[in-house]
Amino acid sequence: MSQQQPQQDEAPFVARTLGSGTRKEAADANEVLAFYRRQSRTAGEDVEWTFADHPAVTAAPDEGDLATVVRELDAHFENGVPIGIIAAALSKQGDTIGDTMDAIHDLRMTGGLWEPRDDHLRAF
Amino acid sequence: MTRWNTSTDEVEAVSPDITDETNALPARYFTDPAVHEMEKEKIFGRYWMYAGHANAVTEPGDYFTRTIGDKQVIVVRDHDDEVRVFFNVCAHRGSKMVEDTPMTDPGNMGRIRCPYHLWTYDLDGDLTSTPKSFEEAGLNPDLEDEDVCEFDACDNGLKEVTSDTIGPFVFLNFQDDPMPLEEQAGQLKDDLEALPLGEYEHATRIVSEVECNWKTFAGNYSECDHCQANHQDWITDIELRDSELEVHDYHWILHYTHAEDVEDEMRIHDEHEAQFHYFWPNFTVNMYGTADGYGTYIIDPIDEGRFQLVADYYFRDGEMSEEEKGFVQTSRQLQEEDFELCERQYAGLKSGALAQAQLGPNEHTLHRLHRLAQEAYEA
Ligand code: FES
Ligand SMILES: [Fe+2]
Repeated sequence: MSQQQPQQDEAPFVARTLGSGTRKEAADANEVLAFYRRQSRTAGEDVEWTFADHPAVTAAPDEGDLATVVRELDAHFENGVPIGIIAAALSKQGDTIGDTMDAIHDLRMTGGLWEPRDDHLRAF
Repeated sequence: MTRWNTSTDEVEAVSPDITDETNALPARYFTDPAVHEMEKEKIFGRYWMYAGHANAVTEPGDYFTRTIGDKQVIVVRDHDDEVRVFFNVCAHRGSKMVEDTPMTDPGNMGRIRCPYHLWTYDLDGDLTSTPKSFEEAGLNPDLEDEDVCEFDACDNGLKEVTSDTIGPFVFLNFQDDPMPLEEQAGQLKDDLEALPLGEYEHATRIVSEVECNWKTFAGNYSECDHCQANHQDWITDIELRDSELEVHDYHWILHYTHAEDVEDEMRIHDEHEAQFHYFWPNFTVNMYGTADGYGTYIIDPIDEGRFQLVADYYFRDGEMSEEEKGFVQTSRQLQEEDFELCERQYAGLKSGALAQAQLGPNEHTLHRLHRLAQEAYEA
């Protein structure tokens, strides 16, 4: 994720598709996740973060595996970390949303994560 | 007279007469979440919908999925070389079977197998095998094995969705006994089938999300009164001279005539013009005056206030030349200019002041669009 500030826009979350560069601005990180799902469904496109303005993302570690990152983020949220926030935090390590979703699937299938509410995760 | 959301103005159904002042769809049909839900059934569940391009599935077993509203289908080429469409839903207990597979990245499968209990279907939808546990009753003390009746392959097959084609375009209809595609398409079928559309290859797909109702964009596509003021570059490049609108029952065509000096090889069709075909409810075929190729748009609603524009471009070769890339870029510029107009219009509509817009005498393509929507709601 580049650290540059968004130009004129106020949106705290900005992402773009890898292939065609379609831009998505959102007020909510999980809306970017919904965008990713629609893009991958219709065009097979992955999405990368351009910008994410959220204290949890800023405070998130620049390294560490998924479980570590989710545990760090957890303190900022009441009942699970929005997957969009997890993806934004992992973009500091160069991950696309597709990369993050794959990592989530893998960890989840080994029992390392649970979902206290829809699209919000906690790590063991 | 435009009708405002005041205590005295009242809206009316879209008048069939374009000279009436209530000639447009009331504003709430663009902004109400309940209308979006209703449209899933009354529009997208009832008319012929574009499923995808047959060239994406040339070999038996090639398939892709298409999601329309809440429904998802598998479009697959069977062993008899027919393209067939099935709900992506297992006949056993309703599991989704294949993963989302966009037309631009199709898959191939010998049979359709549900991952849940491994019911397996032929490419024509017939149930071909079930695991042993469905043929014997070993776990159920109330039943003997011979009590278990065999599943009839055909009766327990996948639910097929009615489909048909216009050239390489595959359409589907969720109704059991719909009006024939050729009736909905009318002259569009002959017009499109006269062109060698199948000889062109898919080059690129660009999916944009736009913050307005899908009908807002449909209306924008259907008129060029906004072009002079809003598509300056395009207008000068192609030396737009004239436009002409042709309205049919379920489709309309915008003809844009421009300078004669574009070479004939640069177009798929013979006339010195660009042709933009809108096919109700949400499919367009874009025949450019300045590129040997064509494009299609799918205008898929996400909710009442957003839609996805799925733009596909086809050229002689799937690998685009620099010129063709430049062409797509221009097309993208046009889209962005239109998105801005549509989002601005929608922001105004959503603010709630307007109750019912009014159309001008040359907005008869939009009048058709609004009439078709009204008809669909009332049916
Ligand atoms: S739901 Fe498909 S095999 Fe059971
Ligand atoms: Fe336009």
